[in-house]
Amino acid sequence: MKNMKKYNMIKITAIYCLMQVALYAEPLSKSKMVEVLRGIDVRIRSSGDYKSLVYIEQREKGKADQVREALVYRRDADEKMMILFTKPKTESGKGYLRIDKNLWFYDPTVGKWERRTERERIGGTDSRRQDFDQSNLAGEYEPEFEGEEKLGKYNVWVLKLTAKPGVDVAYPVVKFWVDKETGNDLKRQDFALSGKLMRTEYTPKWSKLYSESKKADLWYRQEIRIYDEIDKGNSTLVIIKSVDLQALPENIFTKAWLESKSR
Amino acid sequence: MIQFGILAQIAFRNLFSNFLNVVIGGIVFVGTLLFVVGSSMLNSMDSAMSKSIIGSVSGHIQVYSSKSKDELALFGHFNEPDISEIPDFSIIKPALMEIENIKSVIPMGVNGAQVSYGNTLDVVLEKLRKAENKKRRGGHSIELKDQIESYKNHVRQIVSIIQKDFANLSVLSEARSEDSESVIALRKANSADFWKSFDNDPLGHLEFLENKIAFLIPDSDFYSIGYVGTDLDSFKKDFDRMEIVDGQMVPQGQRGLLLSKFVYEHQFKMKSAQRMDDIKEAIENRHSKIAKDTDLKFLIKQNKMQTREIIFQLDPISTNKLIKLLQTLLKSQETELASLLSGFFDVNDENFLERYRFFYSDIAPLVDLYRIRPGDMLTIKAFTKTGYIQSVNIKVYGTFQFKGLEKSGLAGGLSLMDLVSFRDLYGYLTPEKLLETKQLKKATGAKIIDRDKAEEELFGDSGSSIVSTTKQVNIDEKKELGVIQTIDTSINRIYSQSEIDKGVVLNAAIILKDPSKIKETMAKINEVSSKNHLDLKVVNWQKAAGFIGQFVGVAKVILYLVVFIIFIVALVIINNAVMMATLQRTKEIGTMRALGAQRSFVLSMILIETVILGLTFGLFGTIAGSFIVKLLGHYGFPAMNDFLYFFFSGPRLFPTLGAGSVFGAMAIIIIVTVISALYPALVAARVSPLTAMQAEE
Repeated sequence: MKNMKKYNMIKITAIYCLMQVALYAEPLSKSKMVEVLRGIDVRIRSSGDYKSLVYIEQREKGKADQVREALVYRRDADEKMMILFTKPKTESGKGYLRIDKNLWFYDPTVGKWERRTERERIGGTDSRRQDFDQSNLAGEYEPEFEGEEKLGKYNVWVLKLTAKPGVDVAYPVVKFWVDKETGNDLKRQDFALSGKLMRTEYTPKWSKLYSESKKADLWYRQEIRIYDEIDKGNSTLVIIKSVDLQALPENIFTKAWLESKSR
Repeated sequence: MIQFGILAQIAFRNLFSNFLNVVIGGIVFVGTLLFVVGSSMLNSMDSAMSKSIIGSVSGHIQVYSSKSKDELALFGHFNEPDISEIPDFSIIKPALMEIENIKSVIPMGVNGAQVSYGNTLDVVLEKLRKAENKKRRGGHSIELKDQIESYKNHVRQIVSIIQKDFANLSVLSEARSEDSESVIALRKANSADFWKSFDNDPLGHLEFLENKIAFLIPDSDFYSIGYVGTDLDSFKKDFDRMEIVDGQMVPQGQRGLLLSKFVYEHQFKMKSAQRMDDIKEAIENRHSKIAKDTDLKFLIKQNKMQTREIIFQLDPISTNKLIKLLQTLLKSQETELASLLSGFFDVNDENFLERYRFFYSDIAPLVDLYRIRPGDMLTIKAFTKTGYIQSVNIKVYGTFQFKGLEKSGLAGGLSLMDLVSFRDLYGYLTPEKLLETKQLKKATGAKIIDRDKAEEELFGDSGSSIVSTTKQVNIDEKKELGVIQTIDTSINRIYSQSEIDKGVVLNAAIILKDPSKIKETMAKINEVSSKNHLDLKVVNWQKAAGFIGQFVGVAKVILYLVVFIIFIVALVIINNAVMMATLQRTKEIGTMRALGAQRSFVLSMILIETVILGLTFGLFGTIAGSFIVKLLGHYGFPAMNDFLYFFFSGPRLFPTLGAGSVFGAMAIIIIVTVISALYPALVAARVSPLTAMQAEE
């Protein structure tokens, strides 16, 4: 009987130890986490110019679906980005232009520029500027290891990212699920400063193409599914339909260029 | 009759014979007074409020789509009501106009939009950019050249102020180091070289100022405006309380906006001017003293601190002019405008009126007191019904108010917009738009995945690979972009009546020839609607106003409830008091019975005594109540807040005494006194002479 008790104790202790090992299996060090984030940033970053054709679909409870197509232009080296809506007809010519810390919105109907913030809902959808732009996760956030888990059939690291002081981001706290095998993020949850969950974003499809200027693969999130956690039932789908890496006109990232499109 | 006379004499003789009678009388007096004053006030308020609602936006009757999920609430609802569209006003108008009692049908749609301004530097740079674009398109007039130079000087002035601010901040904070990007950019933007080379590449220089400097100022503005999209000419004709205050009426058939004077003064006016106005009103109307009023002290503190609002608006010439003016007024040698303005706004009870006059006579002409002036173009932006953001440029022709409701935020909460612009901003989902969306969705063929099943479907065993390789393609920008469509917002285009009528509206106001026949007309509209399949819901003005319209009804219920409770209490007290008084008079009643008085005589005696007691004191209460109503009718009951201003249809309510209030009070007294005296009277009638005589002294 005594031996039995002893045996049970050893068994429980062994299970507990195994659980601890499983739970804290290979916790990522700070430098490793930064490396993971930088890896995503580097993969997405384009050395030359970038142009893509994007499809955005917004679903809202009790409303008709909204659909848009846009051209996204990037010149990552200069921190410049532009979204030019092409469809539907009523949206065509409207656009966003990011230069440094400024995000401008242009409406050709009224010929007016408006300064917008990082919290801007792109075209009134649940997407944000960061969903279309280059990535600067390592520069903007401080990571913290939360553990490992399974996301469907994929093994993922779970990181908690907190915005660095003085950095303007759409969401100050982000929970991040990174695929251990590819190093790509598959899921992120964005939180307000109060800790309230604002939206959940899935990236079920990553795509890559060879970039001559980069001399390496350029990765992009081919499909993004965003679910609104405040207005439950609202969701946004972003699909990058095609990518073009040819050089863009030198003056493309200027107000004058975007204005000229509607003249 | 003779018997009634005798009984009345007995009743009057006993009126003050007993202390209990005085108690009963007191209760009846208070209850009657309250009823007369309260019901007169509420009836007058009801009548005044109906004028406010009918005369400002609702008309006598409102119609809207019966398919709407919510009820129409013109003066707000706890949530934004979901009202379905009436697809074509030109169909319902002629059908309704066939009803005899209908004078006119005015199309409407209530919506909200946003007006946003960049910060002060953004605004000046935008003007400079427009002027430069005009120059590039061939504008060579001297006026344009002067305008560009003036804007450039203004920008330079603002840049130099920001640079000074940054220099001061860098002394206080290490974060703003000399090497910071912004400091370098400011140094460049304030250099002589920068402005010397400006004309060689104006757009490049503008981009630099817009992207490297302008974001350093945090004073951008954002306004929300509620508006009624309507046929402005019909509105002006049928809502005769509406009057233009500034500017002019929108020319017939043209696009345009009339801002509510209330909104104009409270949203678009310079904040420091608003605060000066608020202080003046508090001193003059509420007899407040700056020395004792913490709210006024706070307003003064804000004005002293927020002088940038004025400083940023001034070009170098105006800055120097204002410095000299303030130095003379304040007898100061100070050369910094910010310090001088701060000193100027440091007002007290002695110098306030003088400073107020100076503000409007000397400072105001140098700045734009309002963000927008009649005649200016305003860019307003709304989320359309379909979720897209739509903007229109619209000319502000002027401001308006409803006579008698000048200070009411409720009546003045909505501005007026032409129906064509309203429709542009509303963004009705036409069959063509629906088809375009459907085609785009079909071309992409994206699969919809529910939130709950997302992880399983996207990353589960059945999910497709998460990584793929693609090849770059040549994206033809011209093909994708097509021809950019813009809305024709030309301010000079005149729309015909049929163009205005043809199209979507949300509701329509109906003005009646004879408002007393409102119920019959509503029934007739329902009949016409079902006969012609118009799918209209018909409501009277009270219902259309939303919770505001129900306010007087609720207040009446509360008053009647209070009066009812008072009279129920009175009924119990009167019953007990009469019972006690009757028991005290057992011997008297027995003697009367012994002398031949019938039971019916005794019964009548008690009843008549109580009713006369009630009527007498009720009459006193009615007279006192009527006197109070008369006094209030003469001097007016002041509207102490915005809601009361609307309910009173002006700054004061002048109640009138209605026959209903007087007769109602009397009827209640008779009923209450008869019921409360009935049981004691029956008890008294049963008193036998023998019992009475056997009773001890």
